Parts: sequence; structure tokens; C-alpha cells
Amino acid sequence: MAVKNPNPAMLAVNVIDRSLGLGHAEGASADDQALIEAIRRGDPGSREALYHRYKRRVFALAVRIVGAMDAEEVSQEAFIRIFRGLPKFRGDSALGTWIYRLSVNAALSHRARRPPLTGATGEPEIPLESSARESPPTGDAVLRARLERALWKLPVGYRTAIVLHDIEGLEHEEVAAILGCHVGTSKSQLHKARGKLREILSQEGITAAELEGR
Amino acid sequence: MASRQPPPAPAGEGDREGEGARSAGRPHVVDQLSAYLEGDLGARAAEVVREHLEDCAGCQRAALELRAMVAGARDLERPEPPPTLWPAIEGAMARAETEILPFWRSFFVRGFAVGGLAGATLVLVVGIGIGVGRRGGLSFLSSLSSLAPQAGEHAEGGAVVSPTAALDPLLEEAEGELQAAASAYERSIEKLRGLLEREEPRWSPDARARCAERLARLDEAIARSRDAARRTPGDSAGSEILFAAYRSKIDYLAAVVERGGPAITGEGTP
Repeated sequence: MAVKNPNPAMLAVNVIDRSLGLGHAEGASADDQALIEAIRRGDPGSREALYHRYKRRVFALAVRIVGAMDAEEVSQEAFIRIFRGLPKFRGDSALGTWIYRLSVNAALSHRARRPPLTGATGEPEIPLESSARESPPTGDAVLRARLERALWKLPVGYRTAIVLHDIEGLEHEEVAAILGCHVGTSKSQLHKARGKLREILSQEGITAAELEGR
Repeated sequence: MASRQPPPAPAGEGDREGEGARSAGRPHVVDQLSAYLEGDLGARAAEVVREHLEDCAGCQRAALELRAMVAGARDLERPEPPPTLWPAIEGAMARAETEILPFWRSFFVRGFAVGGLAGATLVLVVGIGIGVGRRGGLSFLSSLSSLAPQAGEHAEGGAVVSPTAALDPLLEEAEGELQAAASAYERSIEKLRGLLEREEPRWSPDARARCAERLARLDEAIARSRDAARRTPGDSAGSEILFAAYRSKIDYLAAVVERGGPAITGEGTP
């Protein structure tokens, strides 16, 4: 089957998860701005509200960059950086983008200080596990776990690019702002990362049919 | 142009020989696929990839795998953080804020404490001077003892009016100065209390409880000192203890507001 044109569904990857206002780089949303002001005033519960709004994004990012074992520590560090930095947050970018930047920095700093333990294959000894799965894994869950493991075999730079763009659904402009690079670099990094990930999946015998049949 | 080999066709699916013939002379486009599917290639490069894909089953398969892989990544779930994360963050923030204070805040808090103490000390010294200098032997203690309420003569804010003072204008003057000292202490305490009330909501329940307990003990010490001064009018020790109790409370309030919370250890009893 020939691929005649870019798949609209694939192009739509970029608009995933925009419902919370992460897709707008023109500044913090009204809700976020109100929350920022509440935190600056020291309103009781305002920090916790921000935590609950962003906890899964920060934690998921940490899990996928440093692994499940260190993710809680990295998330804690990220939120401390966030709360300390909020008084200086100018709103030039979306709050979510800024939070991602601090979280990625916290994760990469942690990784630089404490490189992960690796097994013979270069895969972390404790690879990412879906947290607290109580029911037996279904075919979809198994496939997701294989995809997560394949992600772990990528160099951290490639993995970060895929996590931010394909998993978290950020635009290249946001990814570039988070990583402190040019948009072209972000795109180049992502395309190389995808190529490498596809190779890994192919080597593990995971076919397009399996992925599509999730 | 990239020439990485596309994945081999599964057994029985592809015509390897025919595929090779159709794509002969043209490099594979596997490395271009992601950019092509994202629309990041220029028009000419995109056309080359499109034409190649029409003829190359291997690259078609790679494109399908890539597309499915991105869709799969998009569907990966965000794991839920453990319930211990927020308490850990809250605790770490409380500790960090105890350790790090902006210089202006420290200056501000210290200002209330030092200013209050200085004001109280000044009026106290003036009061002593008046009492000693003009009464020639009137002890500071007896002046202070007049702060103790007699027969229910409490004034607002803990200030009291001595019946003796009403009879002696010099003593009355000294007593007024000493009451002013007590009032200066009280004002400092009120200002620090105001700061404390703004800070407390940020603290953990445990920190708030420890602070309340400590303040209750300091208030008890002040009340006991006041009672002692009442019982021994003429004994300066009672008044000294009373003012020392005020100073203890001011010191504690200043320290706790400045730190952003009560210390976990090292706080003795008043």
C-alpha cells in the first residue's frame, strides 16, 4: 500500500491534549493566570491546586526520562522549582510549557547526577512499568509496555523529543522552548528519534499491524 | 538522500525481487519518512519521497510502522503519581522556606521586634529615671508593681491603673512611662501576630499546632509574671520577669515569622 500523502491523522498528533490550554504559546491561560496570582498572594490551597492540575504531566515526564524508581524524587524537585520560580514567571509562555521546561531540566539534572543502572542491553534494570495496574494485562497493555520498553532503549535526548512531541502532544515551538533549541533542531531530533524507535520496534518483531491493532 | 534499507517484507507478503526492480537506482527514503509524514519536507523532497513510496513496498511498510508507532505513542497513558508526592512536596517547601528568606522579609520582621523592644526599653528607662531621680529611692520594682491590676482595674491591652499612682503625681508619671513600655511590647506583639496570621495558612497542621502550643505557653508565662508582680508590689523581680516574658514572646514571634514556621527542635520552654 502506497502512502500518497501525509496522513491527516498523523498530522493531528500535534493537537492532542490541548483541552487544558497547553497548546497556546502566547501566554498563560486565564485559569492559569488566576492560579498564579493566588499562589503569589499566598492563598491557602493554591499551590495544591496547581499541583493537582499538573501532577500527572510532571510525573509522567519524570517516569519516562528517569524511570519509575526516581520519578517521585524528580517530580518533587520539579514542583519545588516551580513554586520557587512562580514569583518570577512573566507569562511569556504558557504556564504548562514553563512547567514542562522546569520538569525536563529537573529530570535531566537528576539523570546527569545519577545515571540509571543499566543491564547488558543498555535497558534500565527497572524499566518503566505501568503504575499500579491491578487487572491482568490485556493485549493493548502488553503492546503499550513493549512500546515503553522500546522508548527506554533510545538515548535520553531522542526519548525526550518523542515524549514531549508525540506522547505529551506539544508543538515543535513548545518543544524548542522547553529544550532551549531551535525549532529546526527539535524537528530534526524528533525525526531521528522516530526512525531509531521504529528500528528498535522492528527488531523486536513489533509490526505495524500489531501497533494498529491495539 | 538517505539510503537506509527499509524493513524486509514478512514471508509471503512482498515480492522482494519485483520490489528491488521497481526501486532500482533510487535510494530508500526511510530516513525521510517522519519529516515527510509531518509535512516538514520541501516540495521537491516530498515529491521524491512520494514517488519512491509508490514503487517501494519496504518503504511503504516502514511508513505504516512509523505512523502506527506515533499513534501508539499518542495513546500511552500518563501514570498517576503516588499519593505521597504532594505531602513530600509540601514538607520540602516548608523546610526550604524555613531556610531561605528574602532579605527584606527578614529586615521587616526584625524591624518589628527590634523596634518594639527598643521603644519599650526607652520608655522603661525614662520611667526608671523619673521614678529614681524624682522620688529618690523609689525602686523600679515598686513602679513596675503598679502595673499589676489592683481590685479589677484592668485597662485595655493589659495596662493597669494603680490606686497609689492616683495619689502621687511623680509615681503616676513613672507608672505611665512603664505602662507605655508594656504597651510598646504589646504593640510589637500585635504586629508580629498579624504577620504570623498571614504566614500560618502555608504551614503544615503540625507546624501550626506546635506554634500555637508554644504561644500558649508564652502567654501563660506572661500571665503568671503579671500575677507575681501583683502579689509582690515593691519587688522589682516581678516586673523584670514580666518584661522578660514579653521579650520572650516577641523573640519567638519574630523568629517563627522570619523562619516561616516553628523550629522542629531546640525550642525550650519559656
